[in-house]
Amino acid sequence: MSQFKIPVDRILAKLAEDAERAQTMTKKASDVLLGPLDTDIATTPGEVVYQEDRLTLRHYEPIVEDGPRTPLLIVYALINRETMLDLQPGRSVVQNLLKEGIDLYMIEWGYPTRKDRYLTIDDHVNGYMDNVVDFIRQRHNLPKINLMGVCMGGTFSVIYAAHHPEKVQNLITTVTPTHFDTDKGLLHIWFKDIDVDRTVETFGNMPGDLLNVVFLLLNPARLMIDKYVGFLENIDNKVFVENFVRMEKWIFDSPDVPGETFRQFIKDCYQKNLLIQNKMEVGGTRVDLKKITMPLLNIYGRFDHLVPPEACELLTSKVGSKDTADICLDTGHIGIYVSSKCQKELSPKIARWLKEREEMKPKTSTPKSRAKKPTPKKSKASAKASSRKKKKVAK
Amino acid sequence: MNQDRQDTASPEFLLGAWMKTATDFWGAMTKMWQPTFATSPEATPSQESDKARPQELWDASLNIWQTMVSAYSTPETMDAAVKGMHALPEIALKMAKTGWEGYFHLQQQWLEKAGRIGSKTEAYKFEDLDKDTFRAWLEIYQKDFGQFLNIPQLGLTRSYQERINRAVDKFNLFQVEAAEFLYLLYLPVEKSLRVMGEKLPELSQEGNLSENFKDYYNMWIKILEGHYMTLFKSPDYTRALMKALDSAEDFITARQDLITDGLKALHVPTEKDMDELYKELYLLKKKVKQLEKKVDSR
Repeated sequence: MSQFKIPVDRILAKLAEDAERAQTMTKKASDVLLGPLDTDIATTPGEVVYQEDRLTLRHYEPIVEDGPRTPLLIVYALINRETMLDLQPGRSVVQNLLKEGIDLYMIEWGYPTRKDRYLTIDDHVNGYMDNVVDFIRQRHNLPKINLMGVCMGGTFSVIYAAHHPEKVQNLITTVTPTHFDTDKGLLHIWFKDIDVDRTVETFGNMPGDLLNVVFLLLNPARLMIDKYVGFLENIDNKVFVENFVRMEKWIFDSPDVPGETFRQFIKDCYQKNLLIQNKMEVGGTRVDLKKITMPLLNIYGRFDHLVPPEACELLTSKVGSKDTADICLDTGHIGIYVSSKCQKELSPKIARWLKEREEMKPKTSTPKSRAKKPTPKKSKASAKASSRKKKKVAK
Repeated sequence: MNQDRQDTASPEFLLGAWMKTATDFWGAMTKMWQPTFATSPEATPSQESDKARPQELWDASLNIWQTMVSAYSTPETMDAAVKGMHALPEIALKMAKTGWEGYFHLQQQWLEKAGRIGSKTEAYKFEDLDKDTFRAWLEIYQKDFGQFLNIPQLGLTRSYQERINRAVDKFNLFQVEAAEFLYLLYLPVEKSLRVMGEKLPELSQEGNLSENFKDYYNMWIKILEGHYMTLFKSPDYTRALMKALDSAEDFITARQDLITDGLKALHVPTEKDMDELYKELYLLKKKVKQLEKKVDSR
């Protein structure tokens, strides 16, 4: 029997070399870690223009003037936070959209507490979202606005657009699950068997930390081992450490998900797959995808392990709109917003698509609100909220 | 003479003698104490009655004892009691025997099951995992230890004690399920190392062994990732995950019930109280918002 030989002597010699390098690295690393680090996230200046319960609406002024006239509202998921879209200067979807001249609004869902456990999908979509859309419409004196959803926020946006097509000019869905009956993503497999009633009864709200554990378990080799090995290898690199800490901040900043919303999302979507079949009911009204008649841009990642392409790509064929487009980017769930390659692609594509749609439609609406700065028309409630809460802040 | 010694050493004789001595002793003591119980001439009627009470109580107790002794002294009762005494060593022996047998049986089961851990894990296969080990632990716990926690509780504190036992029981069950789940998570590590062990000779034969340690790490992490993906798609994993989650939820609920008892005792609103309040608040807010919208739209 032949004995295999590992060049142990050479490996040891290499390790000795590495040890010397490690010593230098440790010194540098201590300088980096003990020195000042810029790890702030979501630093793009924005103005809080509306607040309702735990929800905050932030407005970002575009940097250039030649963008689409209709403002764009971004609806993020209830899982994790929207800060991912503005992770760091130079790697920020928010900044890139502003550079494209888009007048941007973004919903921050905040941190649900125990008292929010009874909030349903209906409360989020037909309650909060509708109030926000009305506020922006009144503020800009427009009948419709552009809507963009991210992940679960995309699913909410699809439901909203089906319920209120008269208020949505264009719909953009990014990594948005609408077809849940697939075994390509592990979440789709695991959530099928979860006893969600029991979970909600036990926890009230679905704990963000528990969801984080689930996400880490999707790929423990990479997310719990390799990632930190990579960090140790680059621990002497200040920029790398700063970016790494920013990402860590975002990943583990996980608000709980309101219990009733989580229950309905799991039952109706993951377990019964009602949305794509036009059978889901929200607020007592059936969500009919055929009522989505506005232009639809559906963007997703080819290597998305959370929301695989199979969960996204059916939507465009199920809606009533004839102006639909699918864009599949060669990236994963988060990479679509943070990878350097996608940073260059995503925002320009969205801006171009919106501009093209705007050029196609007859110019009936008023000129851009940001140019004229009109006094926004608000409902009594929103006007009060706005005057109370309005403040210029850099998050 | 031997016959006499045997008679005096017999349990019947010893029991009778002890009873007689005890009765005589306490009878004599009572008589001695009687002067201290006696009331002084200056004592008020209430003081008199206070002092007479211990004596009455003592007399009553002595009477009961004497009645009991006389009852035991009858030949039939004495005989029955003595028979019981004879049986005592036998009972103790039986109890010890049963206990040891049970313990050895358990130990045997544990050893058998524990021996199976890691004995049949094949690379990239997660269909037939040796989860029997944990099932055996669970069975042992449920059949033996766990039953003690399910003994019906009695009396005023019955429900509190039951909740404490339930929390302990659910915690133990959660531990078993969590152990099984963590063991499943560890399996890919074991399997990936085994695959590495098989790959290295192959690479050596091909002359492709690297001098860079990082190459081996990268190879291992890739294999590990593959194993995790296979595991995560297996029905066994999903089952174990759900069981771990269910048992965790059971424990949290049981613990919450326990906390609720404490909060109630401290007059602090419980989670359930707050949830009811939150629900009312939620419904009220919803109604107000709807009305507000209606008013605004007019």
